[in-house]
Amino acid sequence: MFFIFILLDRRAKILAAWFRTGHLASLQTWSFRVMTTKESGGAKAESALSSSANPSNCVSEKPNYALKFTLVGHTEAVSSVKFSPNGEWLASSSADKVIIIWGAYDGKNEKTLKGHNLEISDVAWSSDSGRLVSASDDKTLKIWDVRSGKCLKTLTGHSDYVFCCNFNPPSNLIISGSFDESMKIWEEKTGKCLKTLSAHSDPVSAVHFNCSGSLIVSGSYDGVCRIWDAASGQCLKTLVDDDNPPVSFVKFSPNGKYILIATLDNTLKLWDYSRGRCLKTYTGHKNEKYCIFASFSVTGGKWIVSGSEDNLVYIWNLQTKEIVQKLQGHTDVVISAACHPTENIIASAALGNDKTVKLWMSNY
Amino acid sequence: MEADASDPEPPDAGEDSKSENGENAPIYCICRKPDINCFMIGCDNCNEWFHGDCIRITEKMAKAIREWYCRECREKDPKLEIRYRHKKSRERDSTERDGSEPRDEGGGRKRPAPDLDLQRRAGSGAGVGTMLARGSASPHKSSPQPLVATPSQHHQQQQQQIKRSARMCGECEACRRTEDCGHCDFCRDMKKFGGPNKIRQKCRLRQCQLRARLSPVMPSESLPRPRRPLPTQQQPQPSQKLGRLREDEGAVAAAAVKELPEAMATPEPLSDEDLPLDPDLYQDFCAGAFDDHGLPWMSDAEESPFLDPALRKRAVKVKHVKRREKKSEKKKEERYKRHRQKQKHKDKWKHPERTDAKDPASLPQCLGPGCVRAAQPGSKYCSDDCGMKLAANRIYEILPQRIQQWQQSPCIAEEHGKKLLERIRREQQSARTRLQEMERRFHELEAIILRAKQQAVREDEESNEGDSDDTDLQIFCVSCGHPINPRVALRHMERCYAKYESQTSFGSMYPTRIEGATRLFCDVYNPQSKTYCKRLQVLCPEHSRDPKVPADEVCGCPLVRDVFELTGEFCRLPKRQCNRHYCWEKLRRAEVDLERVRVWYKLDELFEQERNVRTAMTNRAGLLALMLHQTIQHDPLTTDLRSSADR
Repeated sequence: MFFIFILLDRRAKILAAWFRTGHLASLQTWSFRVMTTKESGGAKAESALSSSANPSNCVSEKPNYALKFTLVGHTEAVSSVKFSPNGEWLASSSADKVIIIWGAYDGKNEKTLKGHNLEISDVAWSSDSGRLVSASDDKTLKIWDVRSGKCLKTLTGHSDYVFCCNFNPPSNLIISGSFDESMKIWEEKTGKCLKTLSAHSDPVSAVHFNCSGSLIVSGSYDGVCRIWDAASGQCLKTLVDDDNPPVSFVKFSPNGKYILIATLDNTLKLWDYSRGRCLKTYTGHKNEKYCIFASFSVTGGKWIVSGSEDNLVYIWNLQTKEIVQKLQGHTDVVISAACHPTENIIASAALGNDKTVKLWMSNY
Repeated sequence: MEADASDPEPPDAGEDSKSENGENAPIYCICRKPDINCFMIGCDNCNEWFHGDCIRITEKMAKAIREWYCRECREKDPKLEIRYRHKKSRERDSTERDGSEPRDEGGGRKRPAPDLDLQRRAGSGAGVGTMLARGSASPHKSSPQPLVATPSQHHQQQQQQIKRSARMCGECEACRRTEDCGHCDFCRDMKKFGGPNKIRQKCRLRQCQLRARLSPVMPSESLPRPRRPLPTQQQPQPSQKLGRLREDEGAVAAAAVKELPEAMATPEPLSDEDLPLDPDLYQDFCAGAFDDHGLPWMSDAEESPFLDPALRKRAVKVKHVKRREKKSEKKKEERYKRHRQKQKHKDKWKHPERTDAKDPASLPQCLGPGCVRAAQPGSKYCSDDCGMKLAANRIYEILPQRIQQWQQSPCIAEEHGKKLLERIRREQQSARTRLQEMERRFHELEAIILRAKQQAVREDEESNEGDSDDTDLQIFCVSCGHPINPRVALRHMERCYAKYESQTSFGSMYPTRIEGATRLFCDVYNPQSKTYCKRLQVLCPEHSRDPKVPADEVCGCPLVRDVFELTGEFCRLPKRQCNRHYCWEKLRRAEVDLERVRVWYKLDELFEQERNVRTAMTNRAGLLALMLHQTIQHDPLTTDLRSSADR
């Protein structure tokens, strides 16, 4: 067994062919290798694969997330929570038109950013954790400087609610998706709209850059997921499954090879975007109405984390697709779940009946 | 006229379709052929149709014709003249007129239409328009624009040409006006009079009396009324039309107020079309926006009841009911739209109504602690005092708890902040020491310069000029581009640079205010650009001239061996002659000053950072932040979610 694993590092293709038949360990090794190269290189990959053989590693079957903090402060439904890339802060946007910044480790509130005129649907961090962009129903996006709490720029141009936004990894561009069925790429420095991509026939529900910033994935209520080239604005690929339920959320995996697509038929799917095939399907939660954020948890075990309309946070094992944990505590639809970049912390936010953000921590 | 359908009406004179057999198609034109597939033009008198080719009128020419009469009709009746719509063609025509008849038009295609009563409806733009519209089924296409008639050729020379259009007859008093009055509501909306250009209509006094949709004159019998009342209300001199409209509306409303039970019987002079269809205007209208309270007909007796919101609402409602009854044939969706507007409107009125209703009944109790009085309308408290008391109690109640919560766990952001402050402090220290170093160097330099000055001149001693004589290379000055001898290169370039630089200015709005800095920036105020010169004072070519060098002053530049080693010797040449060390003091002083400026910049930056961190630290956990937010800790043992503590 061990021999083959050494081969694995050198000739990944062989590995892929070898393992494709049964257990999709190729997926794991791919994701492992790329996701963990930064941390510990090959050793961890090997140890991860040989989890069954080698008991000394720390990948266990289930996480043990427990509720640690409840952050109260919003006066309306919370729409989105995001951890900052440096792991220090948690930003939560809400229908009460403000963004609150909390400390990620102690849950203490740090700052409140006010300025929008209508509800805020999404918020995103820049890579240096110094700036935020927020998308609001007042058809604008605002760029905030976190340290001073001031709004640096307001991006206008959309003709309907702006629903989702994201920075690209170099943080010089912002992508936004809106109810006016278009997406716009903005230049962060000047606030100008560089491109408008309109290829959807329904509100755009999610936009995301991949880890290198070269691709954009967009999902929309028309059931179609499109992959775009960020530089030229060309649509490279369209992912449609058999039937097309509205897509409520899309996201690239941390290694950029897979796309997590949430659809309003209570399903989460992991697609291999280059092959255009659905690899995994995660079900068991309830998602028929809201655009619920989902996330990859890669700090400990490899999980998929998502909110749900039955007030629970669902955690699936990425490989086996089983539900490994359901976090209870919210009293309304859990609209957003985010994973900390370095620690085993999950932040979840709920809608109007609850209005709180909860921080959960696990040992693995 | 259809191709195979009705025949042209049998005219009195002119060519007649002699052979009107049942089987054969009717024949036209001077060629007497039934061919209708080519361009044809119809005579407006005899209603006979002619092929364009036969009478030599092209389609293009026909486009410019408004009324056309065939040659025979024109010969028979000299009063009939061909009328054109376009100025250009008219001019062309006047030159061509003298020529042969057939060539006398620039034409417009006419459609065969059953009723060619054009000359009777002289100048009636609407008539032509409808004719064109009606004849759209014919095989010939119609010219889409309304045709313009021009005064006959007779009057051309005598009369001034007034352009006639569908909305201008060209002959009435209003059409003859050339200037806008500037006072009517339409003028005041024009851009040239400073308006927002929303209404976009001709001056009221220039609205044609015959053809305009609305006229400034108010005849007693009904003129076509505007579709909607005009949106402006603040007119110093309301035009008669508007006044009348308001009168009518007001009359109806007043009538409604007065005769509520007889609402049905009240004659309604305004039909439904006249009232605003635009939903915004309708709402405004309902809200009484168009009620002119200044009009005399509104007697005092009626004013108060009319202004009362409830009554006004009822008045509107009544009218609305009446209207609804009448409109059985109206489209459902329009009704629904108005219904929704009414609902919206109702909602607007609902709240004041409710409070009105509550007046006699009990208002909510003031929320002040221990207060039993009723709350003010629209507020939760009976007075400011109660509000303040409640707020104070709230703070006393909640704040200690929150503070305790906050202090339960150490604030990580605080710790970070403190560390950051430490670092900044240290950097500031190092910057300050560097600054001191700079100052020392500055003084040193000054000392050297001073000493050098005290040296005596020793002319001709070191004629190091000889070395550079060998070179006959030509260096090009960087500023002016002229070739110069390398010996004098330095001197020339310095002077040249100063010359060009002194023509530009480089400054900022704020004077330099640094304590402890002796001489840094030039800071000369330029009143034109309102800036202070921000060049180094020692270097500024604009504001400091090189002092005159006396003949016996010695250069004094410390000589070096191998660039860096000081020999301890000084250049003894007279300053005027020394070409190697031209301006050496200035340059050295500038060097030191530049370093000092850099250190000050660094200090400034650090200061800014420190200020940011301090503000963040002070603003954290303020009263408002504590009251509005709360962090509930569920696990008392875990205060810090970081796995590896003390990063």
